[in-house]
Amino acid sequence: MTRLADVRMNGGRPFPPRVSAFTRPFWDALADGRLTTTRCAECGGLGFPPRNLCRACWSRSLDWVTLAPGGRLYSFTRVHVAPGAFRADAPYAIGMVDLDDGVRLMCRLVGEVGHDDLDARIEMLVLHYEDGPLFGARVVPRG
Amino acid sequence: MSRRAAILGWSAVPVGTYQRARDGDPMLEHELAVDVVLGAASMAGIGRDDIDGVVVAHPGDHTHQGYFHTFLTAHLGIRAQSTVIQVLGNGMTGGHAFDTAVLQVTSGRAERVLSVGVHFETGIPTSRHLDYSIRLTGDVDFQSVFGAVPIAWYAMDARRYLHEHRVPRAALASVAVKNREHAIRNPLAQYRTPITVEEVLASRPIVEPLGLLEVPGRADGAVALVIVSEDFARASGRPYVLVRGRGFEHEGLHMLSDRPNDALAYTTLRTASGRALADAGLALDDVSTFQLYAPCTIVEVLATEGLGLFPRGSGATAAADGATRFDGRRPVNTCGGALSRGHPPEVTPLYDVIEAIHQLTGAAGDRQVRDCGIALTMSELGKLNAAMVHILEAGS
Repeated sequence: MTRLADVRMNGGRPFPPRVSAFTRPFWDALADGRLTTTRCAECGGLGFPPRNLCRACWSRSLDWVTLAPGGRLYSFTRVHVAPGAFRADAPYAIGMVDLDDGVRLMCRLVGEVGHDDLDARIEMLVLHYEDGPLFGARVVPRG
Repeated sequence: MSRRAAILGWSAVPVGTYQRARDGDPMLEHELAVDVVLGAASMAGIGRDDIDGVVVAHPGDHTHQGYFHTFLTAHLGIRAQSTVIQVLGNGMTGGHAFDTAVLQVTSGRAERVLSVGVHFETGIPTSRHLDYSIRLTGDVDFQSVFGAVPIAWYAMDARRYLHEHRVPRAALASVAVKNREHAIRNPLAQYRTPITVEEVLASRPIVEPLGLLEVPGRADGAVALVIVSEDFARASGRPYVLVRGRGFEHEGLHMLSDRPNDALAYTTLRTASGRALADAGLALDDVSTFQLYAPCTIVEVLATEGLGLFPRGSGATAAADGATRFDGRRPVNTCGGALSRGHPPEVTPLYDVIEAIHQLTGAAGDRQVRDCGIALTMSELGKLNAAMVHILEAGS
């Protein structure tokens, strides 16, 4: 099961990403509930975000792959003094997440998160804003 | 043997507020630059026509004047035959301003080079400053979209550090207290009133777990250095500081690795310092004091561990035990560091060079490191994605 849980967010994305011809598949898949990235067809190198070349071997032969939504929380912070664009959201939590598929990324954390949640299981989410999606994560309740 | 460079003149204004006037009219960036340029040139005993090149620290986004390097060179009336250039290296910008000037001299292209930087930001509201800076320290499409302000990355390191090493929270906070004690003794410092560990821990949260007193305040500043050949410095009969070694390393990452790794290792620093010490023909134990670019308490701790001054996980407790005080066994950021000396980011590394000079020339007053023969300066960018290290020694 690789489909991400949906979370409705109020308003538009505070600082929207650009969408290029290359990254369009990523954002379209995310809107459809899948977190994707590119894998090198030559050396198998996997990373995040999707890149139009392999960092490891400079091959431009790449496949789109869907990442499993599970992982662990490496660390996080809660931002209290925010950029103007994020003022309405402050304080907000962002974290570094290690996915089971072997990539690390940074994203918004929703729901409760505290110091004891480091190394806890997380699940990736689609945050649906009025103008488009972002990816996020939340700590999976224990027990 | 290759040609060596020396610092023959130096000048800095106290870190503080210049762009935003408390009352009356504010100061403009090139007007402030004049103060430090004339101060450094006078100390070096040189005049306008002696300057072969001008290297300017890129002033960031908040100064109004564009192409500041050529504007400033014209304002100063300098005709340069080696170079006029503005350099940018994120947090390392001031380090590059120093390094590039040194290279002009060691390459033989120039005999006397001005290295100068002005950083202005206090006239800009914090929220607007952060709107700009989230575009710098992250992938704008995949990281900045979440509001990752620059110090948020360090805050995540702090939380991981506390988690992995079970370090008492107060030990990390003690770094801010130690730096404040140094700043109280430094006339160039921005924050000079005493603070306690309790006050640090109680300060309002900025990027958890770091509060106001563990992150840098906002500041303006200006520094100028006159970099000359070793021969010129010696012939001048004036005090000078020799650039003995230089090392650099970039790990090929922007903020975080996209594969799980040990984010706290700060390996670039070990590599860069190793190269700088080898260049100087010295060992780590030969270094008397360390001036490290460290905007937050956690960065200073991880940098001291990355350098190899303390074992992994013990840097915060070593600081709490006084090891990094000016009178400790590994004196670190004797000026008060970015936290209390102040942090005008583009010129912070130049202020660190100024402190190294003060220590090496015995001019550090009541924060003077005893028998200070060799100083190490480090500037970094990203989250220690790159480190640049210089080894400095008093001339004779």
